[in-house]
Amino acid sequence: MKKINCIFLMMVCITAAAQDHAMHDMEGHSHEGHLHDTMVDGKLLVVNPERFDSFVSTLEGKQVAIISVSGMVCDFCARGIEKTFEKDKAVLKVDVDLSGGKVLIAYSQDKNINFEEIQKKILSNGQNATDIQIIKI
Amino acid sequence: MQLRKKFTALIKNIRRFTIPPMGIKVFSFVFLLLNIFLIEARPISYSGGSTLMMKSNNMQDSAYYHYSPSYKYSVGIQQIKDKYFNSNYSYLRLTYLLNRRNTKNSQRNLYFQSGLSSDGLDHYFYGTHGDWETRSLYAGFGYKKTMMKILDYTEQYLQIGVAPYIGEYGDLHTWLMLKSKQNDLTNNWDTYPVLKFFKGNALVEFGYSDTSNWDIHFMYRF
Repeated sequence: MKKINCIFLMMVCITAAAQDHAMHDMEGHSHEGHLHDTMVDGKLLVVNPERFDSFVSTLEGKQVAIISVSGMVCDFCARGIEKTFEKDKAVLKVDVDLSGGKVLIAYSQDKNINFEEIQKKILSNGQNATDIQIIKI
Repeated sequence: MQLRKKFTALIKNIRRFTIPPMGIKVFSFVFLLLNIFLIEARPISYSGGSTLMMKSNNMQDSAYYHYSPSYKYSVGIQQIKDKYFNSNYSYLRLTYLLNRRNTKNSQRNLYFQSGLSSDGLDHYFYGTHGDWETRSLYAGFGYKKTMMKILDYTEQYLQIGVAPYIGEYGDLHTWLMLKSKQNDLTNNWDTYPVLKFFKGNALVEFGYSDTSNWDIHFMYRF
């Protein structure tokens, strides 16, 4: 009987979690061409289109660093990176795309973005920054 | 014998506090929640991060706080209610990241863990644990040797898991896992299913087997 109760409890929990995720997917977003179609240094931006367009929608006149990060496998990694950059006064906004392995960081137009500095910050969290693309909005 | 006296004295002290009948249920529920949860996954936080862990199984209940000055190591204090030896003690703990490999879709870690007990220099533990994780697969192992005044023993575990769906950052994440653990005191391998939930800064893990009953963990990072 204990086993049956235990399995039942597990199934209820999984179903609830799956439904929560399905609802998230059903919210729907536009995929049609925006800033994410821009070429940077001859390369197309490799970002989640909806996520990127939503992120930059309030950032006119600013610049955004798109960082590729390896080893970012869970929310704890993402939260650590987010907290690290939120402490930086030069950072206007941060977004962590766990699925895409990207971190978007918004700076003012006059900020000189230093990739080494960003790499150090991400390494302090235990992950590695492997690439950077900078786009002016 | 001395342990029994200490335990009896502790019970007497607890009985001095009176709890109204309704309060007993509330107190029991809160105590259960506090003792129910936690996992050793991510035993080191990001630089400057703190973690609170609580754990309960057939052998012991424990509460563990650690602080990570760097992503390479953490220091912390763990309070343990040892059900097997009927005693209470604390550990001053150090966990060190021996090796980490990050790839685009995975992370692999190997940790050294150690603890020195409040009972004295002849009660301590050391060991290692490791994990490999993607966003949908998990594998981990652990080995721990505990030295006590009365006897020494080892514990080990293996754990594998799969995520039935991949959530975004901030979503509720779910893991279906299988854990197998063994220690010298009970001298048998116990294998059982484990369910792990993970949202924001909190993680909860429930495991159950016929032989060792509940194995429950909770972790909160801040």
